[in-house]
Amino acid sequence: MSVWQSIFLVAARDFRERVTSRAFQMSTAITILFVVAWIIVPAIFFDNEPAEWTVGIVGEEPVGFTTAVETASGYAAIVDTTSFPDRVAAEDAMESGDVQIVVDSAGKVLIDGDTDDQLQVSVVAALATLEVADRADELGIGVTEISEIFTGGYEIESVAPVSEEDSERNRIFAFFVTVVLFMSIVTYGSWILIGVIEEKTNRVVEVVLGTVRPHQLLAGKVLGIGLLGIAQVLAIGIIAMVLMPIQDAFEIPSAAGSVLAWAFVWYILGFAFYAVAYAAAGSLVSRQEEAQNAAFPLTMMLMAAYFIASFSITGENPVLRVASLLPIFAPMTMPLRIAGGDAAAWEIALSLTLMVMATYGLIRFAGRVYSGGLLQGVGRVKWREAFRASNV
Amino acid sequence: MLEIDRLEKRYGDVVALDGCSFNVARGQLLGFLGPNGSGKTTTMRSVFSLVRPDSGAVRWNGAGIDSDTRLRFGYMPEQRGLYPRMKVNAQLIYFGRLHGMSRGKAAEATDQWLDRLGLSDRADSRLEQLSHGNQQRVQLAAALIHDPDLLILDEPFSGLDPIGVEDMMEVLTERTERGAAVVFSSHQLDLVEDLCEDVVIIAAGKVVLSGPIRELRARSSHRYLSIELATNRNDLHRAFPEYEVVESNDGRLRLRVDDDTPLEPLIHAAAELGKVRQFSYTPPNLSEVFREVVEQ
Repeated sequence: MSVWQSIFLVAARDFRERVTSRAFQMSTAITILFVVAWIIVPAIFFDNEPAEWTVGIVGEEPVGFTTAVETASGYAAIVDTTSFPDRVAAEDAMESGDVQIVVDSAGKVLIDGDTDDQLQVSVVAALATLEVADRADELGIGVTEISEIFTGGYEIESVAPVSEEDSERNRIFAFFVTVVLFMSIVTYGSWILIGVIEEKTNRVVEVVLGTVRPHQLLAGKVLGIGLLGIAQVLAIGIIAMVLMPIQDAFEIPSAAGSVLAWAFVWYILGFAFYAVAYAAAGSLVSRQEEAQNAAFPLTMMLMAAYFIASFSITGENPVLRVASLLPIFAPMTMPLRIAGGDAAAWEIALSLTLMVMATYGLIRFAGRVYSGGLLQGVGRVKWREAFRASNV
Repeated sequence: MLEIDRLEKRYGDVVALDGCSFNVARGQLLGFLGPNGSGKTTTMRSVFSLVRPDSGAVRWNGAGIDSDTRLRFGYMPEQRGLYPRMKVNAQLIYFGRLHGMSRGKAAEATDQWLDRLGLSDRADSRLEQLSHGNQQRVQLAAALIHDPDLLILDEPFSGLDPIGVEDMMEVLTERTERGAAVVFSSHQLDLVEDLCEDVVIIAAGKVVLSGPIRELRARSSHRYLSIELATNRNDLHRAFPEYEVVESNDGRLRLRVDDDTPLEPLIHAAAELGKVRQFSYTPPNLSEVFREVVEQ
C-alpha cells in the first residue's frame, strides 16, 4: 500500500467521522446562524436605505425645489412632490399619510405630529437656499460667489494619496483574514489536539500503528481535519459573501483579489504549520485534562502573532517587519505587509522559503515526537524523551 | 514462520527483554505464557514495531519485517482499543482498508465476520453502545478482517464470559487450521492446555521453557499423586510426613513427589487411610509446570 493511500484513508476517516458527528453539525449550524444574524439583523434595524419623502405643494413649486431638499438632507432622502389645488386638499392628504409635509406658497409650511424632524429642517433649509439664490441673482451675485460667501472662500483639499487610502483598507481586509486564520487554528488545532489524545487514550493507536507509520497517521489527521476546517470556513465565507450586499457595511477593497490570494496562501501555510505542532503536542500527553497544558506554548505563540498583527493595522513598524520573516509569526503578519504594499519582493520570498522549510522540518520533527510520544505509556512525556524513543 | 531472535530491551534500569527467542510456524497455535511483567507484551509489540528492541531481530519467513509485510499481520492488543463513537461496520471496513483491502472486499469481510460473531444486527451501532463482551468480539474481528497470515493476540480471553471464551477458542483453532501462525498470551492455563499443543513460557524477559505441552509435562522431575477417600477428612497429609503436600481438604489429598519415587509404599499408605475412591499418579498439569519453572 502506498504512503498516500494510507494518509488518504486516515484523512478520510477523520473527515467523515467529524462531518457526520452531531457536535460538528450543531457548531456549523450555530456559526452560520450567527453570521447570518450578524449580517441581516443590522440590515433590518439600521436601515441605510435613503428615506422617501413626499412633499405636498399648494400653489407654485419653487424651481429646483426637490433637488434643494435632497441636498439639504445630505442626500439621505429621495424627494417627490405632489401638487394640490388648495390647502384643505393638502391637509387631507397629509392626514391620510400621502404626504409628510406641505409647502403652501402663501408662506406656510404645514406639519403634523408624524412629520420627520429632518424633513422639516431640510425643507426649510431648501426654501432658504432657493430664496438666497433668488435674491442674490436679483443683486447680480453669481452662484460661485454665493458658495464663496458660505465657505469663506476656503476649499477642502485631501493631500492623502489615493493609494494610501487603499492600502489602509487592504490592511484592514488582510487583518480580517488574519482573524479568521487565528480562529481557525485555535478551533481546528484543538480538534487535532483532542483527536490525537483520544486515539491515545482509547489505545486504538496501537492497532492503527500496526498498519501505518506514525508520520502517515499524523499527516492524515492534519489533512483530514484541516480540509474539514477549510471547508467549514469556506462554507461560512460563501454564505457571508452572498448575504453581504444586503448590508453596505463591508466594502471589499479594490485590490481584494491579490490580497485574498496571498492571504489564502499564508492561511494554508500557517494552518499546516500549527496543525502539525498541535498534533505533536497532543501526542505528548495521554489525558484530555492535560491537553491545554500541552498546547499552552503554541497558544502563547499564536496570541503573540495575533497581537503583533492587531497593533500593526495602522501601518509598518519594526516589530511587524521582523515578525513577518519568522515562520511562527509570518502567517499572521506577512499578509498585512503585503496588503499594505510594505513588503519588498525579497522579503516575501525569504519569508515563504523559511515558512516552507520550517513546516517541512516540523513535520519530520513532529513525526518523531508523535511516534515516540504515542507509544510511551502513561502520563506526560517530555518531547526530548519522545524524540529519542521514536522508532522512525 | 515468525522468528523472535534474541530480543533485548531495557527501560532505564528495568530489563524488559533479556534475549527472548522462539519461533512460530504457519499452522501452529502457540500459547505464550509468563507471569505479569515477564515481557510478553513487549515481545508482541516489537513484532509491530511498537517497541524498538535494543538488540535482536524479528523476522517473518526469514526476512526483516517492513510495513508491507506487517499488513498481513493481525494484532489484538492487551488494552483494547477501537474508536468508541464510530459505527461497528464502518470501523471494521476502515481497519480492513488500512490493511490494504479494497472497499468492496473489506465490506464483504465485515459482513461475514459480523454474521459469524452474531453481531449483524449491531452493524450500524456505535461501538460504545455495545456490551463489553461484544466490543471484544468487534476487536477480534478488527484483527481478523484481512485474513492475516500471522495473528498475535495479547490476553484474548480476559474479560470474556464462558460463551465468549468458547467462540474465541473456536476462531483461533479455525484460523490455525487455515494456515495462519497464531500466538496468544493468557494466564488461564487450564484453557491453554485444552486449546493448544505448544507453549512458550518466559520469565524475566527470557524463555525458560518451550515445546509441546505433553512433553513439557513428561519432562518434569516431579509427579503428582492424587488420592480421594470416601470420608471427609482434612488431616490426610499427616499420613505422608515425608512428602510435599499440595492440597489436603475434604478427603482429598494431592502430593508432589520426585519422579523416581517408588509407588507401592504410597499405595499401601493410602489404602490404610480408608476406602479409596480415586487414586492417580500423573505428571504435573500445565499450571504446575508453569509454577515450577517460574518459581525457580
